[in-house]
Amino acid sequence: MKMNAVAIVPLLFVSLVPLCLRGQAVEKDSTRYIEEVRVQGKGKRKMETPLKMTISVDEFLASSQHISFIKRGAYAWEPLLNNMGSERSNLTIDGMHIFGACTDKMDPITSYVESNNLATIEINLGQAGSMHGATVAGGIDLKRRNTAFAAAKTWSGAYQTGMEANNKQFFNLGNVAYADQRFVAEGSFSVRKAGNYSDGNGATVRHSQYNKFNSSVGLAYKTSEQSSLRLDAIFDRAKDVGFPALPMDLWLSRAIITSATYKQLFEAGLVKAWESKVYYNAIEHYMDDTTRPENLVHMDMPGWSTTYGLLSKLTLQRERYASDIQINAFENVSIAEMRMYPQDRSRQTMFAYSWPWVTTRYGGLSMNNSWAFSEISQIHFGGSLGLHENYSKYIEFNRIFHPGASQNKTRVLPSLHTRYELQVKDFLLEAGLGYGHRAPSVSEGYGYYIYNSFDRYDYIGNPDLRNEVSYEGNARISYRKEKFNVDAQANYFHIRHYIIGRILGLGSPMNYQSVGVKGYTSLRYARLFNVSVKGDYTISKHLHWNGILTYARAQDDNGGNLPFIRPLSYQTALHYGHGPFGLQTAVNGDFLHRNYSPEFGEDQTPAYTIWNISADYSFALMKWKGNLQVGAENIFDAYYSTYADWGNIPRMGRNVFASLRISF
Amino acid sequence: MMTSAILCMAISSCTKDKTDYKAEIDTAVTEHLQFKEAARFVKDGYTIRINTLNGTFYKGYNEVRVTLEQGSSAVQPEEVYCLPIFTDAQAQQTTGPHGYKLQQQVDSGYFSSYIVFTEESQVGGEWQLYMRFSIGGTTYRLNEPVQVVQQANKNLNMTRFTGSDGELYVIALISPQKPRIAENQLVAGIYRFNRAIGTPAPAEFPDPEQFSYEVVQGYTLKLDPRMPEPSMGNHSSPNNEDLNQRDDGRYYGVVNYTMTGNWTLNFILLNQLGEAVKGTVVPNDFTPGVNGVKSELYLDILF
Ligand SMILES: [Cu+2]
Repeated sequence: MKMNAVAIVPLLFVSLVPLCLRGQAVEKDSTRYIEEVRVQGKGKRKMETPLKMTISVDEFLASSQHISFIKRGAYAWEPLLNNMGSERSNLTIDGMHIFGACTDKMDPITSYVESNNLATIEINLGQAGSMHGATVAGGIDLKRRNTAFAAAKTWSGAYQTGMEANNKQFFNLGNVAYADQRFVAEGSFSVRKAGNYSDGNGATVRHSQYNKFNSSVGLAYKTSEQSSLRLDAIFDRAKDVGFPALPMDLWLSRAIITSATYKQLFEAGLVKAWESKVYYNAIEHYMDDTTRPENLVHMDMPGWSTTYGLLSKLTLQRERYASDIQINAFENVSIAEMRMYPQDRSRQTMFAYSWPWVTTRYGGLSMNNSWAFSEISQIHFGGSLGLHENYSKYIEFNRIFHPGASQNKTRVLPSLHTRYELQVKDFLLEAGLGYGHRAPSVSEGYGYYIYNSFDRYDYIGNPDLRNEVSYEGNARISYRKEKFNVDAQANYFHIRHYIIGRILGLGSPMNYQSVGVKGYTSLRYARLFNVSVKGDYTISKHLHWNGILTYARAQDDNGGNLPFIRPLSYQTALHYGHGPFGLQTAVNGDFLHRNYSPEFGEDQTPAYTIWNISADYSFALMKWKGNLQVGAENIFDAYYSTYADWGNIPRMGRNVFASLRISF
Repeated sequence: MMTSAILCMAISSCTKDKTDYKAEIDTAVTEHLQFKEAARFVKDGYTIRINTLNGTFYKGYNEVRVTLEQGSSAVQPEEVYCLPIFTDAQAQQTTGPHGYKLQQQVDSGYFSSYIVFTEESQVGGEWQLYMRFSIGGTTYRLNEPVQVVQQANKNLNMTRFTGSDGELYVIALISPQKPRIAENQLVAGIYRFNRAIGTPAPAEFPDPEQFSYEVVQGYTLKLDPRMPEPSMGNHSSPNNEDLNQRDDGRYYGVVNYTMTGNWTLNFILLNQLGEAVKGTVVPNDFTPGVNGVKSELYLDILF
């Protein structure tokens, strides 16, 4: 199948993008809810953490108190938002839906971007994250870099290079942008290559290497004083990526992500901006087990995911009222095959689809409103209404376990949310409620013998699962005084028809490592509770402290623990800056994983603490700005694995890193 | 613009092609849907045509359709009979399950029946068809050799065995010819040999009473499909249904194939009283790395 014809069409014809004119249209108050400050163009707070300036997208996400990860190796960690997996959150790139092509979740969409083509990552919790589609946990929107038009011809760019000693990772990242009054062109590339890492005992973790290439281009043209067209494309290729926790590795994965965006601004009137985007993305993903000669059965497991979509957003503002109204539509086709080879290779191979050509179509209308009805208070409210349809081309696969399962399944996915904010002197108080549905993911609905190496069961989807329905309450209190800031947030989800795998009394495993068959079923309900406290304190002009404490608890309808729920955990960092020098040290860790779920293959993970340190130096070199950084993670070489490390694979031991950034 | 165009071209197509699902099953199984002429005999000016699927007599179950012509015009006999006889190297004669009297299909203009050939034709082993038909009160007899070849499609496999009751049985698969990864209706014929009474008297036309099978009535064929390859650990499938007899005399059940490849249909044949005539229970254990245990009564299939 050719991908390209279709890829070019949207690029050539349609639209383009969010032009960020200077002085950004309506920077609404709601950004306070946003985790990371949105930075447009040449911003200050980029994709970096205080400890490390050249980081991966995963490392950047890890700095949020709402994100945790399931790790299957050193690459492509699966982000959990509010302790919920990717099927419960809305993962988008500039609002575009992209679906991984791996049945084993080797490719969360965060693996298809790179830190140097993103400006920031916007996280919205719970139903407030439903702007781009139905969700339970919230939305994670990866915002691409987006250079503004400039009054005079401007070139800007950066080059970063460095290495990490533990796994001999070398990386080179470059990006450059040209802007003038009418035209912007920008591009980036990145190359990362890493070998196997070593754990805290100095043992090599085999199959943990990776090799990633990513590049992006963006072209924007100002079609009038108030309008612009932008074309974007990202190409990503991962090759020879090991997944030590899985019985297979990745031979090759490629993604092309394209979009065309048209943006029109309006000076007067209620409507401030109108932005429309059409997009196309395609992913191919080929796993490889020839690297694992110990496997009894050789398998080929290729996967493909293709998505077309559009979104169109109106930004309204009048006095103290602001609103975003957005239409979202997409169509995705997910295909995954498995072919098993008998020991006697002259015999017939065995074939089945693990995703039997599943089409997902979604169309919905979302809105977010905020109304500051007094000096000290405002209310946010919004919601979405979506129509979601699935179609399984080879429904006969699904009917083996669920006779009579529907080939077409249409669902209505409503969402409502509201939040009240009150500023009392230095305190900000917030309370909110949310209600929303989500549809089962492709694997939950249509997955066929998808082997889960964590609990060692083969998973079977059920096309007629009911919508998962979330009732959510959240509260936040934050206190800010010049030098001191503390922010406590909590949310509670009561999720009806919570989808999870349960042992089926039917059939037998297909994968030789498997011990049985689980079917996705709906619990009556499950409950999740998340709480986090974040603080920072400017101790002196040069010394700055921050810390995060998080805790979560989740139970099913029998009081049993849900899997992958983070125990009490902490991150704390001290930063010292003087002139061009910076020095920071950070400690993070988890307490004992008390509330684990044996039913899902979890065991009790001990507590661990990791100590990191880094130093940097900034300098000017003619018109260029340079930063040099060296540091070490896990300096005491602790041997540990976290509660969410697939198969308890150990994490990286001591890792010394060094990087250089030159920007202009 | 150019850049993005080039970029798109660069990854213009998928690195590996998707599997052509239809072709995937076609490689292992050829499905024959067309009845073609398998044999033509001439007797006293009448031409007898025997049509079978693909115009071939296969070991196992064959549906046969017989038409008669005189010159170039079709004639309708009153009755048609057909008796297949296998003669081995020791001149021992046996038969396979068959419908001796052919059924007239008025709408279609042919007579139909079935023959389960229990052997392939070979040196020192030959099949003859003994046919008898009546037109206008006159009875004609003929006997002609026919070639029976191996059935390449294992989904139409058969087995012959002696049951715990001492009787000789034949189980022949009738359908599906080409299974799918899905719930498949499984159809089989189950036959028991009628022991000859006394020694057959030598005759030009053998006594059909001496060479007959009957369709067993009211038995149950318990089904347990497995993938016996070592790599599959005797994998089984859910929601299968045992085979039970319907009005047409055949046995119908449901088999779910979860993927393509080699499967074994493990059976236990139960008589009307629910007593096992043949077959053993296959343990439920998942046993990767070794050949899967089979029932003592089974048929292998492949698709
Ligand atoms: Cu994969």
